[in-house]
Amino acid sequence: MLEIKNLHARIEEKEILKGLDLTIPTGEVHAIMGPNGSGKSTLAYVLAGNENYEVTEGSVKWNGEEILDMEPDERAATGVFLAFQYPMEIPGVATMTFLRTAVNAVRKARGMEEYSTPEFMKVVREKANELQINPEMLKRPLNVGFSGGEKKRNEILQMSLLEPSLCVLDETDSGLDIDALRIVAEGVNALRSEKRSMLVITHYQRLLNYIVPDRVHVMADGKVVRSGDADLALELEETGYAEFGGKAA
Amino acid sequence: MDLPVQQFRSEIEQELLDSFAALHDALPGAQNDRVAKLRSDAMERYASLGLPHRRIEAWKYTDLRARLGEAYPMVRPSGRPIDQAEIEKGLGPRVANLDSYRVVIAEGEFRSELSDVQALKEAGAELRSLAETLEHLPDDLGPLLAETGEQRSGFEAARPTGRSGAGPDPIIALNMALMTGGAVLRLGDGVSLDKPVHVIHLDGAGEPVSSVTRLIVVTGKGASLDLIESYAGLGGRGLQRNALTQIVAGADSHIEHTKIQREEDEAVHLSNWLLTLHENVRYNGFQYTNGGELARNDVRVLFEGEGTVMNFSAASLLKSRQHADTTMVIEHLVPHCTSRELYKAVLDDESRGVFQAKVIVARDAQKTDGKQMGQALLLSEGAEFDTKPELEIFADDVVCGHGATSGQIDEDLLFYLEARGIPEPQARALLVQAFVGEALEQIDREPLRDALTGVTADWLGVKLD
Repeated sequence: MLEIKNLHARIEEKEILKGLDLTIPTGEVHAIMGPNGSGKSTLAYVLAGNENYEVTEGSVKWNGEEILDMEPDERAATGVFLAFQYPMEIPGVATMTFLRTAVNAVRKARGMEEYSTPEFMKVVREKANELQINPEMLKRPLNVGFSGGEKKRNEILQMSLLEPSLCVLDETDSGLDIDALRIVAEGVNALRSEKRSMLVITHYQRLLNYIVPDRVHVMADGKVVRSGDADLALELEETGYAEFGGKAA
Repeated sequence: MDLPVQQFRSEIEQELLDSFAALHDALPGAQNDRVAKLRSDAMERYASLGLPHRRIEAWKYTDLRARLGEAYPMVRPSGRPIDQAEIEKGLGPRVANLDSYRVVIAEGEFRSELSDVQALKEAGAELRSLAETLEHLPDDLGPLLAETGEQRSGFEAARPTGRSGAGPDPIIALNMALMTGGAVLRLGDGVSLDKPVHVIHLDGAGEPVSSVTRLIVVTGKGASLDLIESYAGLGGRGLQRNALTQIVAGADSHIEHTKIQREEDEAVHLSNWLLTLHENVRYNGFQYTNGGELARNDVRVLFEGEGTVMNFSAASLLKSRQHADTTMVIEHLVPHCTSRELYKAVLDDESRGVFQAKVIVARDAQKTDGKQMGQALLLSEGAEFDTKPELEIFADDVVCGHGATSGQIDEDLLFYLEARGIPEPQARALLVQAFVGEALEQIDREPLRDALTGVTADWLGVKLD
C-alpha cells in the first residue's frame, strides 16, 4: 500500500506540492489527472527520488516503509518504478547493456541471483516480443533515434523486466498515436496484478479508456482536490479543468 | 625576419647535447656516413631549437622545457629475458594477450628472440631491426630519416620557424639523433596479414632512463595491415620516452593503426606519428592514452594521393595530475581526400587534457572534406581541458568543420539510470564508458575494441559482465 501524507516539495524556491495526501491500496490502479502546472510530474519525480526536488514536509510510505530517505536506486530495489514522460537518450550505451545492468543491479539488491547473459537474452526476447519491440532495436544506443512510441514501449519493457510493485506512469500517453497507445496500454494491463499498485498520471482521459483505473484523483495547485471512480475522468473530459483553476486548452 | 636569438640553454637541454657528444660514436649506424650525417644534422637542429616551451604555439599548453627537470641517462640494453608475465604486468592481460604477430622492443632495443620474425616472413612481411637497418641504410629510407616534422605544404616556409607550430620539431630531431633501436616492417604489394602486428615497447626496470626508439612501416600497393603499438614500463623509477612512428601507406592500402600508452605514473611519453598516405588509402588511427605523468602525442598526416580517407580517434583517460596533449597537423596537398578527427578526454582530479588539430588545405586540394571534434568530460572541478582547432584553407571548394565540447556528467541521465536501480557509482561509470565508447566504436577490430573497453572499465573500477 502506498501512503502519501501531507507531502510538500519545492524546486529551488518554488513550492509545488503543498500538502498532498494520497493512498493507493495494494493491487489497485489509481489515476491522477489535473491541469498543467498542478504538480503531477513533480509528484512522479519525488516518488522516484529526483534530487532536483526538495521534500520539505510529509511522508511517503510504501508497504509501511518510509522511502523519502532512500536513494533512487534503493527505491527501485524496493519496487518503485517511474515510467518517464521523456525517456532519456544515452548515446554509447547499448539498450541491451543498460537493461542487463539495471535488472541485475535490482536482482542483486533484492538478494536474487543475477542473470547470466544467455538467460537474460531469453527473458528480454520474450518480453520484447509481447510489446512488439524489434530485437534489433535493443542493439541500438538507449533511446537514441527511437520514435516516441518506441521510447514508451521501451519504458514498459523496463517496467516489465524490473518487476516493480509500485508503477508510476508519467504522461505515458503523450506523443503516442492510437496504435502505439494501444500497445503500451496492453503492456501495462498485462502487468496489473493484485500484488502491484499503479499510479497513472495523465492530462487526458483518453489513456484511461485503455487502462481503466479503480480510482481517479484530481490534482490542482499541489494537492488532491477531488477523488472519485473511473467516471470522474469522463466528467472531466466534458467539463475540463476550469473549476480547478486550470486554463482552457 | 629572423631576429638573432640569444641562446639560453636549460640544464636539461645541455645534458641532451652532452649525451649525444658522448654517445654518437656508439649509436647504431655510426659507421654509415649517411646515417652519421643525418644524426649530426638532427642534433644541430635540436641545438638551435632547444626544447619546446609555451611561447611556441604548438606547445602552448605543454611547456616541456619547464616540465622536464633533468635528462635521464639513455637506457642500456641488458638483453635480460622478458617473459609473458612481465609483458602482462606492464600492459595488462587484456592488451598483452591480443592474438597477434608480436614484435618486442625492450630497453631501447629490438628483441628478435621475442619477436615473430619468421612467422611474419611466412605471412609475406619483412621485419628487421632498426639498428641493423641503419648499418646498411636502404635508399628509400633516407628521406624518411630526413623528415623534420616541418610542415610540407610550404605556405609558412617564409615565416620564422617555431611560430607557426609547424616548423622543424626538436623532439623529432632528438629522436633522429639519439635513437638506439626499433623496427622496420615492410609489406609487399597486395600482402594482407591474417592477424595484427603488435609492437610492444617496454622500458625502465630500475634507475630512471631515457628510451629513444623508432618504428618504420612501409606498405606496398593494395596491402592491408593491422598495427598495434603499445607502451608500458617495467616498474622502474622513471622513464623519458621519445618514440617515433613513420608510416608510408602505398596506393590502395588499408591500415588500422592503434597506439596504447599505459606507462607508469612518473613516465614522460613523447610520441610522434608521421604518416604519409598515397592514393586511395583507407587509414584508421586510434590513440589510447592512459598512463604517465606527461604524454605528448604529435600526429602529422600528409595526404599525397587522391581519394584517400583518414579517420583518427583518440581517448585519453587521466587522473591525479596527469597531463596529456594530442596535437595534430593534417596537410591536404591533393584533391578528393577526407580527414576525420575525434578526440575524447575523461579528466578526473587535477588532470589536464589538450587537443589541437591544424588542418591545412593546399590550393590544389579541392573537394577536401575535413572535420574535427574535441570533447572532454570533466569529472572534477580541478580538471582542465584546452582545445584549439586551426584551419588554413587555400582551396575554394572544400567542406571543413570543427567542434568542441566540454562538460560534466549529465545529472538527468544519471537520475534515469539510478531510477532503474543502478547505484550511483556504477551509473556514473556507465556514462563515462558511454562517452569513451563513442571513440572506441571507431576501432574496426572487435578484439581490440573489446580489450580497450575492458581497460576503460578497469580504469573506472567497474566489472564488465
